[in-house]
Amino acid sequence: MEQQEQIYTAIANVIRKSSETGQLVQFEEIWTELTGQGLLTSEADDQRPHLQGVVREVVKRNEDLREIPGAHGIAYFYSTQTLSETYAVILARKKGDPLELIAQIVRENSSVYPRPVPLDLFRESPFDLTGEEILACLDKMGQQREYQDIVQTTTSIGNKFLFSSRHLNPDYASTLAEWLDVGQINNP
Amino acid sequence: MAKHGGWAGKVLRVDLSTGRISTEDTIEKYKDFLGGTGIGYKVIWDEVPIGTKPFDPANKVVFGVGPLAGTGAPCNGRTAVTTLWPTCWPKPLVASGHMGGHFAAELKYAGFDAIIIEGRADRPVWLQVADGKVEIKDARRLWGQGIRRTTVEINQQMGPEASVAAIGQAGENLVPMSVVMNSYSHSAGGIGGVMGSKNLKAIGVRGTGSVRIAGNKGEWEKVVKLHLSLLGSVNQHVVPNSPQPWAEYYGVTRWVGSRGRKWGAAEPSIETGECDPRNLNRISYRTNNAVFFLGEKAWQYTVRGNGCTSCPIRCHTMLKVPAVSSKYGIPAVGQNTCAGLILGRDFFKAFPDGPMGQTAIEACMVGMHLADDLGIWENYGQMQRDFKELYYNGTIKNKVGENEFKSYSWDKYEKGDPSFLFELLTRIADKEGELATALGLGTGYHLERWGIPEQEWQKDQKVAYWKMGHPKHHSNEDAGQCGVIINTQYNRDAQCHSHVNFTRNGLPIEVQKRLAAEIWGSSDAVDALAAYTPMNISKAKMAKWSLLRKELHDSLSLCNWMGPWIASPLKERDYRGDDSIESLLYSLATGDKKSREELDKVAERIFLLHRALTIRYMETKEMRAQHDTVPDWVFTDPASKASFTQGTNRMDKEDIKLAMDMYYEEMGWDKKTGSPTAAAYRKLGLGNVADELAKRGLLP
Repeated sequence: MEQQEQIYTAIANVIRKSSETGQLVQFEEIWTELTGQGLLTSEADDQRPHLQGVVREVVKRNEDLREIPGAHGIAYFYSTQTLSETYAVILARKKGDPLELIAQIVRENSSVYPRPVPLDLFRESPFDLTGEEILACLDKMGQQREYQDIVQTTTSIGNKFLFSSRHLNPDYASTLAEWLDVGQINNP
Repeated sequence: MAKHGGWAGKVLRVDLSTGRISTEDTIEKYKDFLGGTGIGYKVIWDEVPIGTKPFDPANKVVFGVGPLAGTGAPCNGRTAVTTLWPTCWPKPLVASGHMGGHFAAELKYAGFDAIIIEGRADRPVWLQVADGKVEIKDARRLWGQGIRRTTVEINQQMGPEASVAAIGQAGENLVPMSVVMNSYSHSAGGIGGVMGSKNLKAIGVRGTGSVRIAGNKGEWEKVVKLHLSLLGSVNQHVVPNSPQPWAEYYGVTRWVGSRGRKWGAAEPSIETGECDPRNLNRISYRTNNAVFFLGEKAWQYTVRGNGCTSCPIRCHTMLKVPAVSSKYGIPAVGQNTCAGLILGRDFFKAFPDGPMGQTAIEACMVGMHLADDLGIWENYGQMQRDFKELYYNGTIKNKVGENEFKSYSWDKYEKGDPSFLFELLTRIADKEGELATALGLGTGYHLERWGIPEQEWQKDQKVAYWKMGHPKHHSNEDAGQCGVIINTQYNRDAQCHSHVNFTRNGLPIEVQKRLAAEIWGSSDAVDALAAYTPMNISKAKMAKWSLLRKELHDSLSLCNWMGPWIASPLKERDYRGDDSIESLLYSLATGDKKSREELDKVAERIFLLHRALTIRYMETKEMRAQHDTVPDWVFTDPASKASFTQGTNRMDKEDIKLAMDMYYEEMGWDKKTGSPTAAAYRKLGLGNVADELAKRGLLP
């Protein structure tokens, strides 16, 4: 019983520590960490399914801990004490298809704030895409039906913004992009 | 006085004509007006006769600070300088300029809540205020010097801790578009010429005293900590401009600090880090105004953030651009914020490497170097907009003599060469030639001199001119009808940030609407940007609240460029700020316990006195028709989009009439004239003001 509690605490600590560094953690990493701490025997592979259940139990018991589905059916874990849901979702999507990542970010921004997003956003952390990668993604998106709502608009100083036509009409998106890129700065 | 904390207790009066120096009891005479603009308006009301011109000895300049200046309250570094305004057209009316820096705190520590300057010295002088001791000193050696040299010389005499508010050559030469500046980059526009007309080169203040906090010290510390926890970045943008681990929201805001971003010119360079809002020791790393206005390239030139007393925001960015030393022969280091930072760049239409390139940054450095030494004011970018418009539409060529026109290097100007600024700005300060003299007058008088009807400027959206010689300052583009109402109320640009610091804070519109409902009674008070809806009463409430908070801040010495603090970066507070923070701080500092509503009433009294002054000097009660006007461009759209459709800031004329009706009603003023009624004055303890206006037939 005491050892079980020790494992529960160790799992929560692994998740929280990972979040403190701005990262998600997946089951395999938790397994490795616990093994490294001597809490699991390395040969106990048959314990894996059981331990996955334990991790989920730990998440249930701790209000700050969350599970988030990532690409290829991999689950990730994080603590809301140091990682917001928004950021965690970006990190989880980053592990999958970059086209989907860009499209979802653009759609959310168009719907929630609402606003178009500058292309350069995707060069920033945590996206960390290069200019070439972004352009390649946009090129591919242009050819795929599911991304036809992702549209570009260019401001008067030549910067590109993206928006989703599901949430913003092109005219409005273009006004907002111009404001964000030029208007705000001219109205200090 | 022993009963009160906050105030120093004395107002200093200096008559430069006679050399008489006297003091008055702040509490006895001015407590009902708090400080800052409140004292300023009261002095002008009581003492400056109708018909006085800004540069007459009878005009007075009031350097007013408030009961929170010099305390530990965040963002308390503002000094309000109130006078009859030289660029207010067609006749001068009361207005105030506002400077940050360290003048406000030093003045309090020296024992004063305000300095009233009157008369005119018979020779150049400067005023030394040191721990209650006041001396008028000979400034003949300083006259003709720039602000930097003057500051250095006075600091050598008074010590490096002294705060020196000085004018440059522009002020000495009675250029209306001139500033007074302290701490090298903190200026109040419009004041330089008024000081120059009094032969007053500078005021140096140094105090070793302190400000007493009347209330419980533990409570005070708690409220200060609460206030700090609510702060965002500059202009109270409460979400970062890129996704960060701690942040639920992100946006295109002025909160630019983030992991991996560095002050590249610091030695060694300093990473701003993520600036988690719960870490109060990282507030200063959130803002880098140079990066916001000049682009990513500015990171490499950033030495650090700089700013005012007790303000962790540090909105003045110190830049070190080595190339400008060899190219232009100016110091590599400069600092300023917002309009002051981009002053040089704004004169040009284009640069060879774009608006965020190296040349644009160099233009900013040259602009700061010249304007902040010569003491030139740019009127929130209006001088530069006027200049560009008048050059490119051919007016300058037509209005200026051929020889003078040829004396400028227009080829350099059109190519975006920053060295052109050496030709233009020095001549403005010296009133040399027609072009420079006209630009130095301010827009209203400049247009009149060149025979251009004001209405022409009011038609043109890109010139962004509002009325009475001044531009718009956060109007419909930022807050629809609320912004329009605010821009009708002052005798210069409105300088009000209460509304825009909320609408631009970066939170999603639904969160803004939820917070708006709590403060102004309905989520309809705010609209999404460029998606404005018709007028409603909550927008009028927001406008009134915004104006009163501005006056409150200007009277307490809190910064209305940073506040109010009704939203916060804190998810655990559902992004709420605290609408009572000013009254909590005021009550504890002074011991005069006032609720939020009670303190707002004092702010309303101050604002009403400003209104009364405007009516008295305009000599008409027809404010709605003659003062609270809205330029035509507000009702236009470059693509002819209709009002209340997405993608336009265009307002509707009938709707704005309704907006003004609702606003006047909310203020308790007469709707027909836009003037406060006798009852409105009396309700706020301004019966004497009502009586005087009644005698002059200026009540509705």
